[in-house]
Amino acid sequence: MISLYRPGTSPLHRAPAGLKLALLALLGVGFSLMPRQPIVLGLSLAAGGLVLVVAFFALAELAGRPLLRQLWSTRWIVVAMVGTQLIFLTPGDAAVNTVRVVAIVLLAGLLSLTTRSSDVLAALETGLGPLRRLGVDPRRVGLTLSLAITMVPVIAALAQRVREAQRARGVRLGFRAVVPLLVLALRHADDVADALSARGVD
Amino acid sequence: MARSPRFDTRDIARIAVFAAIIAALGLIAPIQLPGLVPITAQTLGVILAGAVLGPLRGLAAVAVFEVLVLVGLPLLSGGFGGPSVFVGFSAGYLLGWLPGAFVTGLLAYSGRGALAWWRVALGAVVGGIVVIYAIGIPVQAALTGLPLGATALGSLLFVPGDAIKVVVATLLTLALWRAYPPAFGRRADRRGVARSAAPVPTSGAPATGAPAEPSSLSPVDAADAGER
Repeated sequence: MISLYRPGTSPLHRAPAGLKLALLALLGVGFSLMPRQPIVLGLSLAAGGLVLVVAFFALAELAGRPLLRQLWSTRWIVVAMVGTQLIFLTPGDAAVNTVRVVAIVLLAGLLSLTTRSSDVLAALETGLGPLRRLGVDPRRVGLTLSLAITMVPVIAALAQRVREAQRARGVRLGFRAVVPLLVLALRHADDVADALSARGVD
Repeated sequence: MARSPRFDTRDIARIAVFAAIIAALGLIAPIQLPGLVPITAQTLGVILAGAVLGPLRGLAAVAVFEVLVLVGLPLLSGGFGGPSVFVGFSAGYLLGWLPGAFVTGLLAYSGRGALAWWRVALGAVVGGIVVIYAIGIPVQAALTGLPLGATALGSLLFVPGDAIKVVVATLLTLALWRAYPPAFGRRADRRGVARSAAPVPTSGAPATGAPAEPSSLSPVDAADAGER
């Protein structure tokens, strides 16, 4: 599976995944509560936010091309936001709003760049611990998540099979091709369930 | 993500498979329609999850998919992923998928006996369009700072595509009901067809063939993962 993760040894790479998730959530709330008026304050806070983002990328030793690539991936957000906001709002407001959203999207991207998916999953599983009292079993949640990860390539392979079968028979099913895919996938699910039961997972 | 003990291994495997199906639907190239917004097939997967698995398991399947996206797997259509999509302005629509699948399942599974096409269609319209928009539009408006009315007007662009998805999802659900009733679990048991109907899909693909290499291998892998 292609991951967004970029290996490294910077302080941000080494920080625990749970801490980074919490920090991101905190910054996300902070950015959305940021005052927009008066406009001078709004603009300077937005600029401060951008400096903070660049500082974080620098801390992760990703301030060069990775930052530019992340910035490039936000181009549609910028185009759509600036385009629609200029109709209804002043240019200053449009700039502040756009920078707020882009900054937090960049920070979230930084989390993916510096943290393995498995570490984030483990952090989430730990975070689910207190929910045990409500009847949520973190171990089963973790099992479902790791099952789903292993299923993605299997389902993609099944879709490929259905496509090839169609081509071999010269039929074009269009969206109806999803039906055999669903049947194959759900049968596979039942096989997996049997395998789990056979191994004593209840 | 309430996953209570009432989910047995069969439920867990189906939830995982449907999460993977939503991911796989992201691999399908968007259907291009002249003059309309392209249809990404993933909302189709959300509607299907609710209509086939029922409200709770459908909700769980979407939740599992979204957690995988959140932790950084690029599973959204076009290879997007990571927490950034949950803070960008499609965030509300993604969150709307959760109650969307739930409501779809609630309506499609209401009533007794065989699946009624109009219940499935109603569920797909309410869960797949109304609920998702009801959450997506306000969140988008709040994030962009635009008036609610303007945002709603902009999302009208997506209504034709979503209408097509509702029709497709309804047709697929009913076709699956005929082709493979066990997919619907206890629902089909109640109707008494689960064991009797031969699970032969209506279309020309070889769904009845022997399991493929990957499917015969991966249950073992999956079970290994479960033991860790």
